[in-house]
Amino acid sequence: MRAIIGPAALTIWCLAFVAVCAGDQAEGEKPEAKQKREHASHARALQLLKQRCNVCHGDDADDVRGDLDLRTREGMLRGGETGPAIVPGDPEQSALFVAVTWRDPDLRMPPKENDRLSEAEVELIRRWIADGAPSVATPSGEAWTGPADGIPIATSGGLTPEWTDRRYAREAVWSFFPIARPRVPESDARHPVDAFIERRLAEKQLEPAPAADRVTLLRRATLDLTGLPPSPDEIEEFLGDESPDAFERVLDRLLASPRHGERMAQHWLDVVRYADTAGFSNDFERPHAWRYRDWVVRAFNIDLPFDRFVLEQIAGDEFPSADTDSVIATGYLRMGPWEHTGMSVKAVTRQQFLDDVTNSVGVTFLGHELRCARCHDHKFDPIPTRDYYSIQAIFAAAQFDEPETPFAEWEHTGRLDDVRRRVERLSSVDVLRGDPDEKNDALTRNKKKRKKYLDNAATRHLPRSFAVKTAKPEETHVLIGGALDTPADPVSPGVLTAVVDPAASAPAEVPGAARGRRLALARWIASADNTLTARVITNRVWQWHFGRGIVATPNNLGATGSRPTHPELLDWLASRLIDRNWSLKELHRLVMTSATYRRSGDHPEPERVAEVDPSNELRAWFPPRRLTAEELRDALLFSTGELSERMGGPGSFPEINWEAALQPRHVMGGIAPAYQPSTRPDERNRRTIYCFRIRTLADPMLEVLNRPGPDVSCERRDETTVTPQVFALFNGQFAHDRAIALARRLERSAEGLDARIELAFRLLFGRAPSAIEVELCREHVEEMTAYHRAHEPVKTTLPRKVTRQMIAEQSGEIFFWEETLPLMEEYVPDLKPWDVGPETRGLAELCLVLINSNELVHVY
Amino acid sequence: MPSSRRPTRRDFLYGLGATLGTAAFNSLLAAEARGPLDPRAGHHRPRAKACIFLYMEGGPSHIDTFDPKPKLDELHMKEFTRKDRFASAMASGKRYYVRSPFQFRRAGSSGLEIVEHLPRLARVADELCVYRGLQAESINHPTANYHMNTGNRFGGDPAIGSWVTYGLGTLNRNLPAFVVLPELNFPQGGAANWSNGFLPPHYQGTTLRPAGSPILDLRPPPGVTRQTQRRNLDLLQKLNASHRERHPDHGDLAARMDAYELAFRMQSEVPELIDTRGEDERTLELYGIDAPGDDGFGRRCLLARRLVERGVRFVQVYSSGWDSHDYLERSHGARFRAIDRPIAGLIQDLKRRGLLDETLIVWAGEFGRSPDNGMRGGKKAGRDHNAEAMCVWLAGGGVRGGHVVGATDEIGARAVERVHPLRDLHVTLLHLLGLDDNRLTYFHGGRFKQLSQFGGKVIGDLIA
Repeated sequence: MRAIIGPAALTIWCLAFVAVCAGDQAEGEKPEAKQKREHASHARALQLLKQRCNVCHGDDADDVRGDLDLRTREGMLRGGETGPAIVPGDPEQSALFVAVTWRDPDLRMPPKENDRLSEAEVELIRRWIADGAPSVATPSGEAWTGPADGIPIATSGGLTPEWTDRRYAREAVWSFFPIARPRVPESDARHPVDAFIERRLAEKQLEPAPAADRVTLLRRATLDLTGLPPSPDEIEEFLGDESPDAFERVLDRLLASPRHGERMAQHWLDVVRYADTAGFSNDFERPHAWRYRDWVVRAFNIDLPFDRFVLEQIAGDEFPSADTDSVIATGYLRMGPWEHTGMSVKAVTRQQFLDDVTNSVGVTFLGHELRCARCHDHKFDPIPTRDYYSIQAIFAAAQFDEPETPFAEWEHTGRLDDVRRRVERLSSVDVLRGDPDEKNDALTRNKKKRKKYLDNAATRHLPRSFAVKTAKPEETHVLIGGALDTPADPVSPGVLTAVVDPAASAPAEVPGAARGRRLALARWIASADNTLTARVITNRVWQWHFGRGIVATPNNLGATGSRPTHPELLDWLASRLIDRNWSLKELHRLVMTSATYRRSGDHPEPERVAEVDPSNELRAWFPPRRLTAEELRDALLFSTGELSERMGGPGSFPEINWEAALQPRHVMGGIAPAYQPSTRPDERNRRTIYCFRIRTLADPMLEVLNRPGPDVSCERRDETTVTPQVFALFNGQFAHDRAIALARRLERSAEGLDARIELAFRLLFGRAPSAIEVELCREHVEEMTAYHRAHEPVKTTLPRKVTRQMIAEQSGEIFFWEETLPLMEEYVPDLKPWDVGPETRGLAELCLVLINSNELVHVY
Repeated sequence: MPSSRRPTRRDFLYGLGATLGTAAFNSLLAAEARGPLDPRAGHHRPRAKACIFLYMEGGPSHIDTFDPKPKLDELHMKEFTRKDRFASAMASGKRYYVRSPFQFRRAGSSGLEIVEHLPRLARVADELCVYRGLQAESINHPTANYHMNTGNRFGGDPAIGSWVTYGLGTLNRNLPAFVVLPELNFPQGGAANWSNGFLPPHYQGTTLRPAGSPILDLRPPPGVTRQTQRRNLDLLQKLNASHRERHPDHGDLAARMDAYELAFRMQSEVPELIDTRGEDERTLELYGIDAPGDDGFGRRCLLARRLVERGVRFVQVYSSGWDSHDYLERSHGARFRAIDRPIAGLIQDLKRRGLLDETLIVWAGEFGRSPDNGMRGGKKAGRDHNAEAMCVWLAGGGVRGGHVVGATDEIGARAVERVHPLRDLHVTLLHLLGLDDNRLTYFHGGRFKQLSQFGGKVIGDLIA
C-alpha cells in the first residue's frame, strides 16, 4: 500500500521525474528537452543541499553552524563566518563547492564520512554553480529523490512524502526483487555451479586453478562439514578408493556424521549470539538455554527443512499442535544479552528486548539490519520506520517463559544426574570464610549472592525450556527517534512492506489478536515468495564453504551491504534450495561437488591473479583459511585421542587459563563463584560447542583466536595475527597438556622415534614428513630428551582455594575472604610432565612445536 | 538517496577490513603495508601524544568532590516522594536530601573548589580543568561503563583507547598500544570495557593484571627455560619456512612467523616494564606507594607513567569502590585516601619529566550521584546514581588548567550550564590527541561508525 502523498514541504524545489541521467549530453537535443534536463539537474542539486546541509545550516534556527544559512540562494550569497558560500558561475571560487569536494583538509563538508557526497553528486553541485546557481521553482509534482533512473518501491510509507516517493538504484535494492530462476549457462562444465563461475572467469580470461590434491581436499571437506580433521585411516581409505564417486561418498559419510550438526550449529550460534548467561552486571545464568543449542545441532543433523527451521525458532510455541520440542526453538528469540535490575525502568528494559528481537530477526533471516529504521525511515533501504514498529508489534504479544517441557527422545539427558551433583557439591559446603572479627558486610552479601546464583544453576537438569509465550500485547507506536517517551502513530502488527513486484509476492496477513502474530511472521519469512530468506541462507552456506559469501556481508543484503559477485548463481542455488524442500544437506552436496570447491588454494599464475582479481571475487582458486578457535581446540583434542564424542546436555566446564578462571567476576553486586572446571577429563575435553558459555568470562585462549563475543551477531569470523595468540599456544597450559598427551599417544601407537614422528605428522597434518623433516625433528627430540634427562619437571599444584577482596560499599575499606574450591578435591588432572619420563617430555617438545605450526592452523 | 555511491571503494573496504576513511585512504595503504600499529599522523596537530584515563568506577559524587552544593545543608534529611514512570525503582518512592559530609577548600591561584580530603591534589589545582556540565545516559553500572568507555551503552563497540590506537598506532612495537590497569576485580561489564569491538584485534586493550602474570600466559609453564623455548622456536620457524615454500603466495604465513618472534621479545620486555624497583625513593613516595591508604592505585599510576614514557598511546587506570549508596562519609573518605597522593604524584612526576605537556590526563567515573537518597531501611546518608549531573576533569596537554567549566543546578541534580552529552567529551579527547571523530571511522554493519556514534562537538571551553 502506498501512502497518500501530502503536500511537499514548501522549501523543496519540486520537479516531475525526468528519465534522463543528469549530466548526460544528448546530441541533437531539442531546446525544451535540454531545458528540462538542466532543470532536473539543478533541482537535484538543491534537493541534495537540503538533505545533506540544511540540518546544520538553517533547519535549526537556534544553531546555525558557522552562521551560514544554506536554505536559500540569498543565504548562500550572504555567506557565514568565512565569507560567501557561492560565487555564481564560478565553482572553483565557491567555498561550498570546495567544501563538498573534500579536497581541502580544513574545509570538508558534510563533515562525516557517512554523509559525504559521491562524485556524481559533487558534479551536480558544480554544474549548478557553473550555470549561475539558479533558483529552481517548478510546478508541484512528485518529490524528486533518488537516482534519475531509479525505481520506485511501494511501502507502508515513510515519515515524509520525500522518503515515500524516493527512487532506488536497482542494484542497491537487488534483494527485494523476486528470486530469479536463471538458466544454467551453456558451457563445457559438467556442474551447474561451475558453469556460472566459469562464465565470469572466461570473461576476464582467467584460468581456474587446477584441482587440489586428494589429501588437501579431504582435509578441507572434513573440516568444513564436521569441524574436525580426517583421521589417518580416513585419509588412507580415500587415497585407496579410485572409483569416480569416491569424493561423493565421502560427502555422504560426512553429512551423515553427528559431528556435522555440531559444526553447522557453531555457525548458526555465531549469528544468533548463543550464550548460557544473560550478560551485563548480573550475568544471570540461563539454565535451560542448552536445550536450544541441542535443538539446533539436531536440526542440522536431521536436515530439518530450513523453512521449518525458521518457523520453529520464531513461533515454535504457536503451532496448532505444538510438538514438545518446537517450543525449545523459541529460545532463539531470547538469545540477546539482557537484564532487568532494581535500577532498571521496566518499560525501558522491555523496549530493549523488543528492539533486540526485531533487529535480530532482520539480521538472522532477512539479511537486513532493521535497527537502522528504529529512529527514522531507513536511509538507504526501502524500510520505513513504520515497518520496524509493525514487526515489533508482533513481538509485543510475546513474553518470556520457562514452561515445563518434557524431554524429547532425542535430547541428551544422560549427564543430568552428574550436572545436578556438581551444583549440589558446590552448594553443600560453606565455602566462603572471612575474618569473623571484622564487620564483614561484603562476606554476608556474597554468601547470599552465591546462594542465589547456585539456586538458579541447580535448575539446569529440570525439564523446562528457555522460551517465550503469547500474552496480551502492549500497544505499539512508532517511536520518533526511538525514544519511549515520544510515541507517535499507533501501528498494527505487520511485516516488511517493500514490494518491487506485487504480482510475485503474497502479502502476509498478520492477525490483530495476540495469538498467531509470530506464526504469521514466521510463515511470511519462510515462504518461497520471500525474496530475502532463501538468498540469505544460501549465501551463508556458500560462505561456510568458501570463507566469503557470494554477498560478502551475509547479515546485510541491503544497499549498504556488498553486492553479489554472482547474482545469478545465488538465485539459481536459492531456488534450487526451495525446490529441494529447503534441504541444506542437498545444498552442501551441490556446492561441494563442484570443481570450484575442489580447486587448489595455490594458483599457478599468481601475478595474473593479483592483477585481474586480487580479492578472488571470481573464485579462480580456493581461498585458504585459518582454523577457527573451536576447530583448533577440537582438532587438538581429536589428534591426541582425548576428545569425548558425547553429545549435548548442559554445558561442560573445560580447563581454561587458571588465572582467568579465578579472576574475580562481578555478578549481582558480589563476586561470582569461582570458575571450576569439570572434574573428569572426559567432561572437560568435549567439543567446544558443548562448553558452558559465560558472557562475562571468555575462555581467553579461544578469545584471542578470534572467537567472537556473544553479544553481537557474528556474520563472519575474523582471522588475525596478534601476539596473545602466541602466548596462548606456545605458553598456555592447554597447548602444553595436549603436547604431553600427543607424545603419550605416539609412544603407545608407534615404535621407534622415526615412526612416532611420522605418526605425529599424519595425525596433525594428514601427511607423512619429508626425509629432511624427519631428520630435523629427530635431532630436536634427541636434544630435548637429553635436556629433560638432566632436568626434573617443576611440579605445580592446582588451587584449592582463592582469596577474594572487595571494597565494601558501606565503608570504602577493603575486605578479604577465602573461597574454597570443593570440586578440586575430586579433580582428575590431565596427564602432566611429572607423570611421564624424559623421553616423553622430549617428544612432547616436538609436539608443542607442531601444534604451533602454520601447517596445522591453516586449511588449504 | 546515496544508495549506490562508491560501490567499488566500499567493496574494496570489505576486502581490506580497515580504513581511516577516504581522507586517509592513501596513508592507510601505506600504514597497512607497514603494519596496523605503526605510528602515523592523526588528522591535525595533536596537543597530546598519549592519554592516561583515571577511571573512578562506581560513580564518584560530584557533590562531594569538585562541585559543592551549600543549598543541601538547608535541605538535609528533608523527605519527599518521587513518582515517575520513567524513573528507575532506585530513584522512586520516599527519599531524603543529603548534605555533603565534607568541607571544601579553595585551591591554587584559580581558587578551584576541592574537597578537603584531597589536599595533595589541591596543590596541583592549577593544572586541572574541572567540567561540571557533562551528562551521561545510563544509571546502570555496566551500561554506563560501556557508554563512558566505548560511546555505546550496550557494549560491543571499540573502546576510546582502541579508536586512538587505530588512529595513531603506537610508538613502541614491543609493548601493547592500549594498556588497561584494572583492579584485581574487573569493573562491571568486564573486559568489554576495553574491547576492540568491530575494529581489528590489534587495537584491543591489553590488561596488565595487578597480581599473577601481568599478561595471561606471558610466561611458559614453570620449568620451561628461555633456552629450550628458543630451540623450539627455531625448529618451528624451520618447519614454517619449508611450509611457506609450498605456499609462497599466502601472506598470512609470514605474519604469523613474525608474531612468534615479537611475542618472544615481549616476554622479556614486559617484566622489565612492570618492575618498579629501579625507581628512586622520592618517586615511590610521590605516588604514595606503601603509604597509609595505599590500595595499589599508586603503583598503577606509576606504571601508567612508565608506559607513556615508553610510547604507549593510551593507558586506563581503574580505581573502584565509588558506589556509595550508604555511609558516604566513610566510603568516599576511604577512596579519597587511596587516590589523593597517587594522582597528585602522577601529575607532578609527569611535569618534572617534561611529559605533562604531551600527556592528556582524564579523571572520570561512569556517572555522578544524586543529591537525595532512598530510604532503604533508614537514613544512612549516601547517594544514588545520577546520569544527569557528574563531574570530570582534564589535565595536561592542551587542557585549560585552573578553570571550572559549566555548572549544575543548586542542588547538583542536573547539569544546567555548558551542558554537553558524553559523546562531546569523547570528541574532545580525540581532538586533543590530534584526531577528528568525524574522520576516524570504520565501515561496519552497513555504515561508517565512529566513537561518538553519530557525531558530536568539541567542548572548546576545556581547551587551552
